[in-house]
Amino acid sequence: MLGLFFALVVKEIAMFRIRSVVAGLRALFRKRQVEREMDEELRDYLDAAAKDKMRSGMSREEATRAARVEMGSVDAVKEEIRSVGWESTLETIWQDLRFGLRVLRRNRGFTAVAALTLALGIGGTVGVFSLLDAVLLRPLPYPHSERLFRLFPLEGKRKRGVEQASYTDFRDWQRQTRTFESLAAYQGESLNLTGTAEPQRLEGSAITPGFFATLGVAPVLGREFRSEDTESVAILSYTLWQRRFGGDAGIIGKPIHLEGRGYTIVGVLPSRVHFRSHPWATPVSDIFVPVVPTPARNWHSVRVLGRLAPGVSKEQALAEMNGIVARLAQAYPESEARGIAFESLAQYVVSDASQTAWLLLGAVAFVLLISCSNVANLLLSQGAAREREMAIRTAVGASRGRILRQLLTESLLLAGSGGAIGVALAYWAIPLVGRIAPPFSSLFSRLQDANLHLNWTVLVFSALLSGLSTILFAALPAWKATRPAQSSLATGRVSRLRGGLIALEVALSLVLLVGAGLMLKSIVRLLEEGVGFRTEHLLTMDVSLSEAKYSTADKQAAYFDELLRRLSLMPEVVSAGATVDLPLTRSETLNTVEIPGTHQMMGTAGYHAVSAGYFRAMGIPLLNGRELGIADSASSPLVGVINRSMAIKYWPTENPVGKTIVVYRYVAEETSAGTRVQFKPHLLEIVGIVGDVRQLGLDVPPDPELFMPYDQWPAQEMSLVLRIAAEPSWLIPRVEKEIWRVDPDQPVTDIKTMDEWVEREAAGRRFILLLIGAFASIAAVLAAVGIYGVASYGMRQRTHEIGVRMALGARRQQIVWLILRQNLSWLVIGIAAGLAGAMALTRLLASYLYSVRPTDPSTFALIMLVQLAIAGLASFIPAHRATKVDPMVALRYE
Amino acid sequence: MKSSELVQGTLDMLILKTLALEPLHGYGIALRIEQISKGVFRVNPGSLFPAFRRLERAGRIKPEWRPTENNRRAKFYQLTNLGRKQLKAETEEWARQLAAITRIMRAPAISDL
Repeated sequence: MLGLFFALVVKEIAMFRIRSVVAGLRALFRKRQVEREMDEELRDYLDAAAKDKMRSGMSREEATRAARVEMGSVDAVKEEIRSVGWESTLETIWQDLRFGLRVLRRNRGFTAVAALTLALGIGGTVGVFSLLDAVLLRPLPYPHSERLFRLFPLEGKRKRGVEQASYTDFRDWQRQTRTFESLAAYQGESLNLTGTAEPQRLEGSAITPGFFATLGVAPVLGREFRSEDTESVAILSYTLWQRRFGGDAGIIGKPIHLEGRGYTIVGVLPSRVHFRSHPWATPVSDIFVPVVPTPARNWHSVRVLGRLAPGVSKEQALAEMNGIVARLAQAYPESEARGIAFESLAQYVVSDASQTAWLLLGAVAFVLLISCSNVANLLLSQGAAREREMAIRTAVGASRGRILRQLLTESLLLAGSGGAIGVALAYWAIPLVGRIAPPFSSLFSRLQDANLHLNWTVLVFSALLSGLSTILFAALPAWKATRPAQSSLATGRVSRLRGGLIALEVALSLVLLVGAGLMLKSIVRLLEEGVGFRTEHLLTMDVSLSEAKYSTADKQAAYFDELLRRLSLMPEVVSAGATVDLPLTRSETLNTVEIPGTHQMMGTAGYHAVSAGYFRAMGIPLLNGRELGIADSASSPLVGVINRSMAIKYWPTENPVGKTIVVYRYVAEETSAGTRVQFKPHLLEIVGIVGDVRQLGLDVPPDPELFMPYDQWPAQEMSLVLRIAAEPSWLIPRVEKEIWRVDPDQPVTDIKTMDEWVEREAAGRRFILLLIGAFASIAAVLAAVGIYGVASYGMRQRTHEIGVRMALGARRQQIVWLILRQNLSWLVIGIAAGLAGAMALTRLLASYLYSVRPTDPSTFALIMLVQLAIAGLASFIPAHRATKVDPMVALRYE
Repeated sequence: MKSSELVQGTLDMLILKTLALEPLHGYGIALRIEQISKGVFRVNPGSLFPAFRRLERAGRIKPEWRPTENNRRAKFYQLTNLGRKQLKAETEEWARQLAAITRIMRAPAISDL
């Protein structure tokens, strides 16, 4: 019974729908016929009614008229009939659209200004959103990447998390874990590609067997490493395979020469894999070789990543891994790990880029809000101008809802065109943003790997954003316009709504301006910072010797001796030097320094192997003692030069020159179990003190540094510094040729001027400054336009009054003041709110600032004055124009 | 003669009832409602015609064009089976409601107690 009932209901609904759909379609597509039938029916009704009345004694004319009066407006009846079907909604929308387009076309000036304003707001937001999308929203190119984690050993009593783990510890973790489906380890490894016409340096990674299985990547050709592989196998990235081997399908099994040794190619990766051994510090790995095992548990060389087994929570895995680490610590006292921490691979790769992306999205949202309030203000002025139109429409029977819908349709059209222009703007600007992104940042890496562009996510976002902005800018003006008209007495006051809007604009743009101001000040401070040497006319480059060819310390030292000798003989080269770690490159080797005979640690210092001429080439001043010399050879006693910070820190009251300290030297021995590494203590005499340089970065204050001759501290990889008499960049090809004259197989990489390094130091902050500065400028201009608009509207409203006042002898200043005054309180409120907002929000910038506090009073004060000046000027222009009003014209104005 | 507003939501039912006897055109329906109610209900075309279209769309009545004496054609409406069912259901529902309302209105008021 019940079943039958439901069947009937369903049938009814279905029939009802189909019939209604058919009838609606008929009304839409056979419109003329349907309309004619309706006319006929109504005429018939009138005829019948009239005939009926004639029967009761009226004359034909009287009867006809009476029948018409009874029916009322035929058009209204027809409209009622039409509105029954669903198709009428469609028709109304279509009508609204057409009418809206007409209105917009008629007010070209208004439309252009409003659409462009919206385009700036929407375009900016879309641009930043696509950045955010590339950095944050796109998943890693690995299946079930939510199960991938980086593992960090925690060391010491304070359980400090460190990037790398010991290889041997890693092997034990790998064997014992049950919560991880698999664990793998990797380390950065750049290799010289040899045996080709021009030697080349390849970025790569050393990986353990099962590394790609852990990531969930299968090679497109061949296979990945197995535990039974020798050390001489290699996997190519897709790019390297294409670039270097022309995509040769038979590449598997062919040899490749790295560091002068032959490797066999066993696999090629798919093109979607962009693996970096360090998410922001290294380029994408092009070549993969096996990790060389190191038995020492205190030698931390590999980064560990793992894939959780399905259904295992992060907490369960953490508990298990901590248990494993604790057992290992008991069994092997030399193991340094005391705990373990996880970070999802996605988070690790994104790192601080997400903070930057959100910060920029917040900033651009301000611009969007300002552009919306500007358009809202424009619409309010328009609404006042269209009061007559609205009154007429209401009089002929349009309901409030109908007018509201019409106005909102117009606004939607406006937002739509603004959004379209905005997306076009974003399309043009997005590649620019990609280009100015600071290198060596996770943002840059993510943008590079994600291939920044407009995609469907971004386009859907743009459409939604246009809709949202319509609500933001159109709701209030439309509501106001359809309210029963108030008597439009010119009260001379700016309405609370318009005043509130300009206060909002002033406040928001003030916040952005303060942000930009703080960033600018940071960069100025940063670049003012003395680096401790002369950066101009300095050329730097990296030379990394292959182990096979330069196997001993003597051979390495001999190569660098010869190289430096030849380079300093070049006529353009004033002096040449070499160091293991260039300043400003954010890398150095820290080690301990001890007082001899006591085993008592003084502290740590950065260890640097340098050439004798390094200080001269760099322009680092010698403060005391002597520089390193040619006499300090491999066979003579160990000597070193310290920097000023080290002298002050460790010998605050004495002269360190002539003192002896204990330093540790790294020794690697090949054993059957792998490479055994250890540090052996040596005595070293301090022979001189040099000035401080910014070793780690422009924004890092100097720390203790120790410089030692490379003859005594052999180094396989060194950076050269050449002081050039002229502009350094054009000398590059000749320097390269000179280097290849010593060894034609030796690649030279990272050839840069020192000024470029300095630039790079400021790049991250400059990126933020450029974007926030751009947003702040747009915001300031929009706010100025908004203030100007409200002020001129106020002036137009009071033209008559101004005329009267001037006729009665008011002075110009009084008129100017009259107009200025109407905005003034709102501007003051806006500035106050903006200052408060900036106080609260600039903390978010704190990590990007350098030696400037987020609440830096002088920046706040200066920006406040700038904003006041902009706002003042924007209101002064209309006020000044008011004084040009001819009293006679003004009086006739109404 | 004083006419009143139709009871809300009853127009559809009244039209169906009027058409239960024979097909009628628009004015005929309006006239019959007025006559049978003895002039209490006068339906204006502004609500009558939308109701026709609504009922037609719902399949309760169907139109039929018939020639008139002065060589034109008039749109007559005719009850469908669906419309007949609907009329029956609505009549029963109306009777139920009317009885309930009448009972409520006849109940003694507080002042009567």
